[in-house]
Amino acid sequence: MRTHLQKRDNRSMRMTILVPIISLLVSFLLGALVLLLSKANPLVTYQAMLKGAFGSQTKIQYTIAKAVPLLLCGLAVGVAFRLKFWNIGAEGQYIAGVIGITWVMQFWTFLPVWLLLPIGMVVGVACGALWAAIPGFLKAQWSVDETLTTLMMNYIIIGYAEYLYINAWKAPRGNMGTILYPEAAWLPRIWGRVHAGVYFALALVVVLYFILYKTRWGFELNMIGKNRRAAQCQGVCIKRNIVLGMLLSGAIAGLAGAIDSAAVTHQLTKGVNSGYGFTGIIIAWMSALNPFVSILVALIMAALETGSDALQIMKLPSAMGEVMQGLILIPLLAGSVFIDYRLVSRASHTEATP
Amino acid sequence: MKRGIVLLLIVLLVSMVAFGQGSKDKASAADAVLKVGVIYISPPGDMGYSYMHDQGTIAMEQHFGDKVEVIRMEDIPENESSERVMENLIDAGCKIIFANSYNYQQYMQNVAKRHPNVYFEHCSGYLDNPNMSNYFGRMYQMRYLSGMIAARMSASGKIGYVGAYNTPEVVRGINAFTLGVRAINPKATVTVVWTNTWFDPSLERQGAIALLDQGCDVIAQHQDTTEPAKAAVERGKYAIGYNADFGKIVGDERVLVSPMWNWGNYMIPTIQSVLDGTWKSQSYWGGLEDEMIHLSPISPLVPADMVKAVEAKQQEMHDKKWDVFWGEIRDNTGAVRQKSGEKMSDEAMLTIDWFVEGVIGSVY
Amino acid sequence: MEDRNTDGTPVVRMIDITKTFPGVVANDRVSLTLHKGEVLALLGENGAGKSTLMNMLIGLYQPDSGSIFINGVHRQIHSPQDSMALGIGMIHQEFMLVGNMSVAENIVLGMKDLPFVPPMGEIKKKITALSKRYGLQVYPDKIIHDLSVGEQQRVEILKLLYRGADILILDEPTAVLTPGESRDLNEILKRMLSEGKSAIFITHKMDEVMSFSHTVQVLRRGKSVAVKPTGDIANVQELANMMVGRDVLFSLDRGPYEPGLAMVEVKDLVMLPIGGGKPILDNVSFSVRSGEIFGIAGVAGNGQQQLTEAITGLLHVDGGSIHLGGKNMTNKSPLAIIKGGVSHIPADRGRMGVVGDMSVGENLSMKKYRTAELSHNAVMKKSRIRRFAEDLIERFTIKTPSQDTSVKFLSGGNIQKTILAREIDFCRGILIAVYPSRGLDVGATEAVRQNLIKQRDQGSAVLLVSEELEELLMVADRIAVMFEGRIMDILDANKTTTEELGMLMAGVAREGR
Repeated sequence: MRTHLQKRDNRSMRMTILVPIISLLVSFLLGALVLLLSKANPLVTYQAMLKGAFGSQTKIQYTIAKAVPLLLCGLAVGVAFRLKFWNIGAEGQYIAGVIGITWVMQFWTFLPVWLLLPIGMVVGVACGALWAAIPGFLKAQWSVDETLTTLMMNYIIIGYAEYLYINAWKAPRGNMGTILYPEAAWLPRIWGRVHAGVYFALALVVVLYFILYKTRWGFELNMIGKNRRAAQCQGVCIKRNIVLGMLLSGAIAGLAGAIDSAAVTHQLTKGVNSGYGFTGIIIAWMSALNPFVSILVALIMAALETGSDALQIMKLPSAMGEVMQGLILIPLLAGSVFIDYRLVSRASHTEATP
Repeated sequence: MKRGIVLLLIVLLVSMVAFGQGSKDKASAADAVLKVGVIYISPPGDMGYSYMHDQGTIAMEQHFGDKVEVIRMEDIPENESSERVMENLIDAGCKIIFANSYNYQQYMQNVAKRHPNVYFEHCSGYLDNPNMSNYFGRMYQMRYLSGMIAARMSASGKIGYVGAYNTPEVVRGINAFTLGVRAINPKATVTVVWTNTWFDPSLERQGAIALLDQGCDVIAQHQDTTEPAKAAVERGKYAIGYNADFGKIVGDERVLVSPMWNWGNYMIPTIQSVLDGTWKSQSYWGGLEDEMIHLSPISPLVPADMVKAVEAKQQEMHDKKWDVFWGEIRDNTGAVRQKSGEKMSDEAMLTIDWFVEGVIGSVY
Repeated sequence: MEDRNTDGTPVVRMIDITKTFPGVVANDRVSLTLHKGEVLALLGENGAGKSTLMNMLIGLYQPDSGSIFINGVHRQIHSPQDSMALGIGMIHQEFMLVGNMSVAENIVLGMKDLPFVPPMGEIKKKITALSKRYGLQVYPDKIIHDLSVGEQQRVEILKLLYRGADILILDEPTAVLTPGESRDLNEILKRMLSEGKSAIFITHKMDEVMSFSHTVQVLRRGKSVAVKPTGDIANVQELANMMVGRDVLFSLDRGPYEPGLAMVEVKDLVMLPIGGGKPILDNVSFSVRSGEIFGIAGVAGNGQQQLTEAITGLLHVDGGSIHLGGKNMTNKSPLAIIKGGVSHIPADRGRMGVVGDMSVGENLSMKKYRTAELSHNAVMKKSRIRRFAEDLIERFTIKTPSQDTSVKFLSGGNIQKTILAREIDFCRGILIAVYPSRGLDVGATEAVRQNLIKQRDQGSAVLLVSEELEELLMVADRIAVMFEGRIMDILDANKTTTEELGMLMAGVAREGR
């Protein structure tokens, strides 16, 4: 007997609702199994994780602060994915944004201090957009595979950023990192650890929703993503839109970088390749590219991270945090297959001559 | 699909918040046990920097027994996450928190300001607060001694040094090492390669191999793994370890000596002062006299007279009759950086960004 | 071809096979018999059900009812692996080869019992032996990229022989071949038959049927309408009659033929394939006037679709000119041409005509969303679009649960109606329809045809590409026949016959002209 996947004739509403629920249960069961193997009580552990993420005002603040760059990166990736342009370079575009704002903060000293933040953010956004436009252009003009170019460009800019904070832009004394931005140019905190970047992120969700769902351009992006050839038949210019889409995607990732460095790190330093851009891919995917859903997913992803501190506090090994994050994500991502497909088993059989 | 997931996510999030909020702390029993939080930049399994810190932590745990409980947080990035981790440790009842890497300092100071009743101990930085100390050890003294040994054992007079980053700590170590080398062989050189990583076995090995290919016959290192030392002994050359006793770990006598940390000697008195209620904020830079640093046993390949010379130098430093950065020092362009008779201040040592004469390489 | 032995157990017997797809009966109680050493030509119009029938034989589809016997044993064939195990292999129109791998690698690719490290030396020896035995002239070390289409086809044949196939199914094997290569293929087939193999041959080309096959079976609209020994067929014409059939023609009301200005003027159009070879379009010239339906007949793959894609700006041409409404539109962008007033019902509904994952309403607005009627500057007027879509759904009687339903859930006929509605509503004088009734049931076909005629009566220039001669004769005013990228002739639809068209489609020029 063999089993294989068969496409469902129709999407059933029942499966649409059941699959994510079952996936989530499977996630937690898998996690529980691993916890039991490590001789930890799963219920207590889960509760500790929740408390770690949402247990007090301060913890909620940290979770929200963590969610801001994640949400922005998720939105950035989502725009490109809408075009079926597999931008896995949000990480690099984020770093481009950090480099852009740091450049302004450190060297545009002729500007009045109050102008540094807005101009720095604009330059950061522009850097992210340009860094993303390169693979966009290569794809549009010569069909160069974007998964490779966007991925490789991450490594280029990570190396360049390293060169900047270790060598060219290193603060005159002390360890790795550029000098801190002038304090007057920091993005202010608005509620404990939550900084004003949260306004930008939420505003962007609304603006993006409007662009993607209400404008002609959003309609065209949707057409291209869902059927490139048909879009072309309807007169939509594929090349131009790929470049434009990547400019927007990179701009948002660049904004994420600019905001995070203006509000949190205040410098270009070790740890700039934080992985937000890669987590953004998961967020975009799980939110089905919907900006509003991305808010929820980003919060959950942030909570998974902030909550996993609790595991170490409970004397579980440090790698357990990442194991748990992976265990919770994989069934959710894999489960979506069963909405469109079903598993059938069959036996090959032969009948005799009539 | 979409609607289903959205709904589910909302329910999940709301229940998470509710669940998380609802189960308030059962006011963690204010018992007699002192809870100590320890934050490491990498897992202690690296056999390097965090490993040595953890050896200190273990020594401290054994010393105090039931009186302390340690919560270790490993592999914590040097960004705002570290701030959150400290908050979590405080919530878990920690009264004192150690953090072992430079870039934690800003975040630790932020948290220290918010929690005046908790003590903070930051290793390798310079920031402080009424409830926050920084501490480090004068490892450069051991580097100098290991440099003497390296110079004696090098036939070619070309010695290689695999450095992580161009931070003052590493630069200071290279300078001290080179001064030690030059004290034995004034013509010898120390060639530096940067890996731009604290911990990357393959990059560290590559750096060592590049140096060996250039004809270096002793490899010293400021890295967290044993790979540079292994690369050297595999080629039949000598190595100088760091952090832990590499001679024992690699199992080869060609690892001549390893400058080592002994963090326990700082942590034990510090915890004792908390228990006694005498803890005070300080900037502590301990040297030989406090046994924060020491040399591993020297390899039997090193001639006895050399071992004696090293021991003599060590005694001089211990007795504060002499130190590494005393007297005239030229940089590696030949310019005189310090006149004879002068002693380098701690401030200058902690921010040093140039190489002494004999180093081949540049800081930037 | 010479006689063959029809005694003994047939190698393939398909009995009363029925297969329905939503809205279409693809096969209606079709039976088929293939003997050892026989070539059966399976003939029929596009959508007649030939490919469906063969796909059931190789296990891609399961029949709704009916049974299949292979060498006298009743079999359930679930997958191509199953059919391969029974010695049945199919060569599809689009080759399943990996371009940057060698011939030998392609041949063993995907074989289940291959060891982890394949013994390539032995494999190559076996390939060379097989190649010699059947006169295939294939070299195992060559890279697929470097092979001609004919050579690639031989690799496909070799792939089946290597896996021990005794029954070969060839789907329009000569459509991609030059005449010389077709002759070679004929030789290869003869060699294989003499080795005891059998073949089923799907084709449109009638002269090939006459030279290649022992038996001819004709399918029409999912039913088997004739099975005859090739020897009993007098000539190509009789074959054409069998294929096109004498179905009762619908009579459609139409206005008088009063052509106006030339709206589409194509002159000396040349299109060359990438990498060289015989031209796809070879000096094509014609014009379509307002108030007329200009039909283009021909067997699929003779350049008709590329011609329409050149006119709509989707493909670039290498020579000649295209004027639309009097303006030179050669190699202009699709958007410029759409704005020039051209509507297009493309050949491939699912891939080109609609975005399956978007709603009926969105698909209906895909041409007009740019206009002030449906959007204000860059912002789309959502409620206006809903009303617009509602109106089109009603006017064109599109059967859909709601305008929010994804188009992919509609039947083929209703998908086509969605396209028709959008394109006809937008039409500004030129309508290009490519195989608009392909695969549709009778009712939907009639709706398509009526709409085309309505456009003509309202003064549009309609360019209709079709393989169905009856459709062209019923709907078109003038008919051009394309063969191998050339226009063979342009005929008055009232004065020509299916026989005449059929001969031209097969590449036989009219005499006395």
